[in-house]
Amino acid sequence: MFSFALKNILFYKGRSITTFILTLVSAMLFIVYVALMDGSHNSMLQNALKVYTGAIEIYHKDYRDVGGNEYLIRDVKTITDKLLHVKDVEAFSTRYETYGLLSSKEHSAASMIAGIEPQKEKLLSSIAQTLKEGEFLDENSGNCLYMGSGLVKKLKLHVGDEVSFIGGASDDSFAADIFRVCGTFKTGSFEFDSSASFINRKYFDELMYAKNMASYITIKVKNLDDVDRVNSEIMKVLDDENLESLTWKTLMKTMVKAMEVDSVFGYISLSLFLVVIFFVIMIYGFINVSSRLKEFGVLKCIGLSRANIFSLLFYEIFILSSAAIVLATPIAGYICYYYSINPIVIEGLAEMYKDYGIVSNEMPFNFDMYTIVWNIGVIYMLNFLSILYPYMYINSFEPIEASRHV
Amino acid sequence: MIRLKNVNKYFYKDDPREVHALCDINLTVENGEFTLFNGPSGCGKTTLLNAIGALDSIDSGKIYLDETEITTLSEQARTELRLTQMGFVFQSYNLIPVLSVEENISFIMRLRGFSDKEISERVLEISSLLEIDNKLKLLPNELSGGQQQRVAVARAVAAKPKIILADEPTANLDSKNSQILMDMMRELNKKEGMSILFASHDNLIMDGASRVIELKDGVLVDDYKK
Repeated sequence: MFSFALKNILFYKGRSITTFILTLVSAMLFIVYVALMDGSHNSMLQNALKVYTGAIEIYHKDYRDVGGNEYLIRDVKTITDKLLHVKDVEAFSTRYETYGLLSSKEHSAASMIAGIEPQKEKLLSSIAQTLKEGEFLDENSGNCLYMGSGLVKKLKLHVGDEVSFIGGASDDSFAADIFRVCGTFKTGSFEFDSSASFINRKYFDELMYAKNMASYITIKVKNLDDVDRVNSEIMKVLDDENLESLTWKTLMKTMVKAMEVDSVFGYISLSLFLVVIFFVIMIYGFINVSSRLKEFGVLKCIGLSRANIFSLLFYEIFILSSAAIVLATPIAGYICYYYSINPIVIEGLAEMYKDYGIVSNEMPFNFDMYTIVWNIGVIYMLNFLSILYPYMYINSFEPIEASRHV
Repeated sequence: MIRLKNVNKYFYKDDPREVHALCDINLTVENGEFTLFNGPSGCGKTTLLNAIGALDSIDSGKIYLDETEITTLSEQARTELRLTQMGFVFQSYNLIPVLSVEENISFIMRLRGFSDKEISERVLEISSLLEIDNKLKLLPNELSGGQQQRVAVARAVAAKPKIILADEPTANLDSKNSQILMDMMRELNKKEGMSILFASHDNLIMDGASRVIELKDGVLVDDYKK
């Protein structure tokens, strides 16, 4: 039946070429589109994680929901000592976050001020790399403030200017100081750049009375795909019911939701495209089968069973699909691979989509063999489904009726 | 042996256009007979042939092939029966256009799972008998009508079925090719011992048939052996 199918393909060239081209184009577009969609989601995620949020963060329970000094982590050293023994944790750092009022000579603005460990922070986030003016913090920085470019603009400050701070220390007393603007950063995230500023923890701990305390501990894992497993290990190692270890999926619920919604819309538009391709392939198959109905009738008369006819149609579509997929996969795979290394750059993209977490003008593709394999599976499935109606059409005729069909 | 008992077939049943195509047909065809169903157009000879060939259903009566009642068989069983017990020759040849002469002849044998050796020997034997052994590699559209009909006959007999059913096999052939085909089929009938049933009003077939069954308006009006 296989060689019979092959001969049919070679004989009915028009239908074969059309099906081949349609499958080739749809397979290529499908693989490339999914790679682009996954790539942009990964990029959003990577950017968000790179900027500030950790892959995993450890909090005192209720810190995130209720907040306040009573939910600060108060024995940081014990926890960080334990983290040293967790495999697959690449780096970690403690952060002390507070909200206070920053005032220049003319303006005031509320700001999230975070005491960070500058050297460790360089391993965990891209705060240092997003430097716009001045310099990033170091271990010896004193009252140096590293401010978001939007916040600096709001307060009409420049590098070297002084800015006063007033806020609440960890023991609920007032804390106040004069900082100096040492550097500014621009991550591309409008909200973050307009409200965040950083200071060396060593200096800030004195001011906030926060030694061995932290708002949370942020962790980078070696492989983001292992984040759930590593998180379970951390929970086990910590063994403290007052602490909670959360992954980015919980920490960035809104972004995860946005990505899911985007994926759904992406797949809906892709489905519409695939449905069109499916119907075109099916219609071509149907036209071909209709024109061969007399032949199928004769075949049934002389003893070809329903199973034989199904095998024949299946082999025909299988051969055509396989030929198209064998050609489409390396081409589409190479496109995905090339653009995963050399992302497409669209000027103004970050500005346009800053609210969606896009902080770069680059549109990287995701090159993943597993994804390509399931994409191929979908294309095969669509092609196989396209023979069902023609098959039912053939069987709706009695053999003798079909053999007389003109 | 084929036996028909009170076979009735209607077209457009319970409709003003109703046609009683076969009326209480009773007959027996012994193994190895060279039988012709004869009669004018519309008399029911093709309908009768299709009913015997399990290609068409009947409204009442019974048809037996040896001891098997074929009218009650499932579609799958009828397909299997056609494949293993019957060979068909159609008026318009109905060869598979994408397959060569050799592949057309061996098609049913392959479906039935004959070995490659059996197939090549049988193809050679039948094609020699029907004088198409020098056309084996050609496609059907490269042959004349007479040659195509001989390939169709070769395909029908290759797997050695019990019965050959031929519906107007000479209708598209000139008298010379019709004569050649009839001589060859008679030769096959003698050599292979299979029953051959024709539906035709060709005098040439009538001359060569060993038994003639006359039909008129669906009624068996005469049945005689020569």
